Amino acid sequence: MVATPILEVEGLVTHYFTSQGPVEAVSGVSFAVDEGQTLGLAGESGCGKTTAALSIMGLLPSNGRIMDGKIILDGEDLLKKDEAAMRKIRWKKVSIVFQGAMNALNPVINVGEQIAEVIIEKERASKEKAWERVRELFKLVEIEPSRAQGFPHEFSGGMRQRVMIAMALALYPKLVIADEPITALDVIVQNQILDLMRHLQEKLNLSQILITHDLSVIAETCDKVGIMYAGKLMEYADATPIFKAPLHPYTSALIGAYPSIVGEKRALKFISGAPPNLIDPPKGCRFHPRCPFAKNVCNRDEPKYREEEADHYVACHFVDELRDKLRLGDG
Amino acid sequence: MTQSSQAARGSLLRERLDVQARRLTDFWSFYKGSWIGMLGLFIVIGFVIMAVVAPLITPYDPRALVGRPFQPPMGEHPLGTDQVGRDIYSQLIWGSRVSLMVGLLASAFGVAIGTIIGLVSGYFRGLPDSILMRITDLFITLPGLPLMLILAALLGRSMWNIILVIAVTGWTGTARMVRSQTLSIKERPYVEAARSVGARDRHIITRHILPNVFPLVFANAIVGIVDAILAESGLSFLGLGDPTKPSWGQLLRYANEAGALATGRWWFIIPPGICIMLVAIGFAFSSYSLDQILNPRLRKRRW
Amino acid sequence: MGLKEYIGRRTLQGITTVLLAIVLNFIIFRIMPGDPTRVLVGDPRVETETRLALIEKFGLERPLLEQFFLYFYNLFRGELGVSFTQIGRPVTEIILGRKMVNTLVLMGSSMSIAFLLGIVFGVIAAWKRGTKADISFIIFSLATYSMPVFWFGMILLLVFSVYFNVFPIAGTITPGVTHPNFLSYASDYLHHLMAPMITLAVSFFGGYFLFMRDTILDVFTEDYMLTARAKGLSDRKVLFKHAMRNALLPMVSLMGVHVTFLISGATMTETVFSWDGLGRLIYDSVRMADYPVLQGIFLIMSILVVVASILADITNAILDPRIREAVD
Repeated sequence: MVATPILEVEGLVTHYFTSQGPVEAVSGVSFAVDEGQTLGLAGESGCGKTTAALSIMGLLPSNGRIMDGKIILDGEDLLKKDEAAMRKIRWKKVSIVFQGAMNALNPVINVGEQIAEVIIEKERASKEKAWERVRELFKLVEIEPSRAQGFPHEFSGGMRQRVMIAMALALYPKLVIADEPITALDVIVQNQILDLMRHLQEKLNLSQILITHDLSVIAETCDKVGIMYAGKLMEYADATPIFKAPLHPYTSALIGAYPSIVGEKRALKFISGAPPNLIDPPKGCRFHPRCPFAKNVCNRDEPKYREEEADHYVACHFVDELRDKLRLGDG
Repeated sequence: MTQSSQAARGSLLRERLDVQARRLTDFWSFYKGSWIGMLGLFIVIGFVIMAVVAPLITPYDPRALVGRPFQPPMGEHPLGTDQVGRDIYSQLIWGSRVSLMVGLLASAFGVAIGTIIGLVSGYFRGLPDSILMRITDLFITLPGLPLMLILAALLGRSMWNIILVIAVTGWTGTARMVRSQTLSIKERPYVEAARSVGARDRHIITRHILPNVFPLVFANAIVGIVDAILAESGLSFLGLGDPTKPSWGQLLRYANEAGALATGRWWFIIPPGICIMLVAIGFAFSSYSLDQILNPRLRKRRW
Repeated sequence: MGLKEYIGRRTLQGITTVLLAIVLNFIIFRIMPGDPTRVLVGDPRVETETRLALIEKFGLERPLLEQFFLYFYNLFRGELGVSFTQIGRPVTEIILGRKMVNTLVLMGSSMSIAFLLGIVFGVIAAWKRGTKADISFIIFSLATYSMPVFWFGMILLLVFSVYFNVFPIAGTITPGVTHPNFLSYASDYLHHLMAPMITLAVSFFGGYFLFMRDTILDVFTEDYMLTARAKGLSDRKVLFKHAMRNALLPMVSLMGVHVTFLISGATMTETVFSWDGLGRLIYDSVRMADYPVLQGIFLIMSILVVVASILADITNAILDPRIREAVD
């Protein structure tokens, strides 16, 4: 059976217009999410993953604009839709879970009401029906339904994240985007939330995009992985090949930057330098200033983003040369 | 102190001055971009010039009786004469001195008092903080104008008393703001670091806290000028102004008491009010621009 | 802790502040130079018997501390002294009554209008930031804020009463007219209320508008606003339910402090329009050096301000669930 993509993003280009010039936050990115699958978008902060998410939902700030590309959600091209149409789609077809450390819940409205309001408004449900579902959702995310009338400051970080997840599921959307959902939580709570999300995905056959800089999370939960850097996709493939046989130096470096409990002891790699300024990105390959394998051509020409192996896309000049090196975890 | 350490100190000072100079030029280029702010500044400068050259541009001594009372605008008296025969135009020009002086000084003093109280309160906390905050709360709840009226009535009608009265009733806003700023700056890492290497309180306050507090205090001071000018004109209107100095509020009081309204003597009523309004607008526009620049949250746009 | 405890605590604080205000009141009038009570004793307008009686009652010839306790005692018996100008008439009678009602009506109506218009337009202007409408409102607000209240009143009078005869010139009701019923009386009263109310409302609108606009722009930068938009809620819901409820919190606090400005504004407006209220009473008392009345008004005003401030804080606690938990 051929999996149908819930979401197809093609050649997305998004810029922010600032007083110092346009910031090329996303420069031509393509990925797809199949039904019931989880896509992981990984990369350091500032690489454009959140911007991509906001672009999908049409939530860019006033100085941001989608310059090019196609975003096809459930068969509809979102970029052809005006604000009114987008508003209808938001939360119904695709919802988003924001980072827990953020002040993402309105502090003066009780949490149940914040969930109920979207049910009432978008499904024209009655108050009773809406609150009934609120209680169901709370049970789903394992919070006492009696706490539904509480205020955000009365919940701990992990609980607030559960509330956010419950809220994201309120209209049973087809796609849920989770932007750093567990980053701000402590480790034990992180695991709990991850388990919860995994459990929910199975139970509800959700499609997800998981955005994070933490590769270990991606390794645990994602079916497909996209590695972003400086607004571009460096590598894109199923999870296993990414981790077992990465084809891009950046991917390998990211993996190497995380300790592994199993396997042999090896020195932790770290990637020196900092992500580039996107108002004036580096010429050629955007990663070349920090790449240990960079040669002159990397400075001049941008590597083509190509399907190097089955369903495995990379943008690098030296895929063949580095293939084995990267697999063994050197370099 | 050795020669080399002296030289080092000298270059450090120069560096610091450089940084300050650069900050000022940055700030000025921001400010220039706002037409509201520039217009305000232009108006303020205009009135300052008016106040400074007053003796040169007024034909008569504002306090002298130079004509028949209640003359409408004509020839020698471009704005007519008041109820006892003084030239209104001259009084108007000279009135700018009172408004500007009271406005600037009252605001400055009020802000100074408020800053000191806020700093002491926020930095030292504990007992001084509690006491000062109770006092501040008390002053906030005391009704402003009645208090000013009573104090002015009791202290006598002089310009300096008015400045004092306005300053004493208006420092509370600054005090609160400075206190909360001081509290938050005190918690910042670099202050803790300074303290841990043994920096004295005085050093921390002057080097770390004051410079950070200054921009907001300055913005507050400008708004304070608007309030002070309006307060002065109000007090003068109600009869507590300095009788020896011509002021716009006083002109309006004469107008009111001499029945200029009922008799439609608009030349008595409109010009002084317009002057008060223009000076206040000048400072208000400037403060609006200042606020737009200094308040970082207003710059960050989400949508 | 819950709402009730907060209300209780706040009221207690308020009472303390009132007590402090009373002390301050006493100090100002007895100790400052130009001690009015001594002035009373030497004031030729007051008859000898009344003078002696007053001296006795208020212990003007006893040591200061005793005077203070006597003042307190009289205060609690509802005795605020006797007017200088309206010889013998108790201050309480002058202040509490028609004049107070008139002032409260004027202050209440103008503040409500200014507040409501200020917050609604403030929200809309923030929403349409940078458009011509927004900038026009900002300029209008800055201009009216800079206008002296009494002057604006005078201009209004000049244009609408003298030239156009739309509004009456002065007073609360047309003098010499007897009204057949309450409705006719009320409409006459309202007719007289129009001009002073518009004056006060316009002069306050600017401040509320600018503050609300500022606050809402601040709220817009909060994360939960992005969440509200992400949920696809209507613009109206996002603005008025999510943004405004948060922006109202500082607004309400502002109102609590703002009452003093309201009093100043009312004083000037009442003077210009000869509106028979406490504000004008202040003006007249200052002119006539009627210190007992002044002192009485001052006290009433202080209490009013404290009450308003308590109400504002309590409203804040109702609107903001986080406050009830906070320890002072």
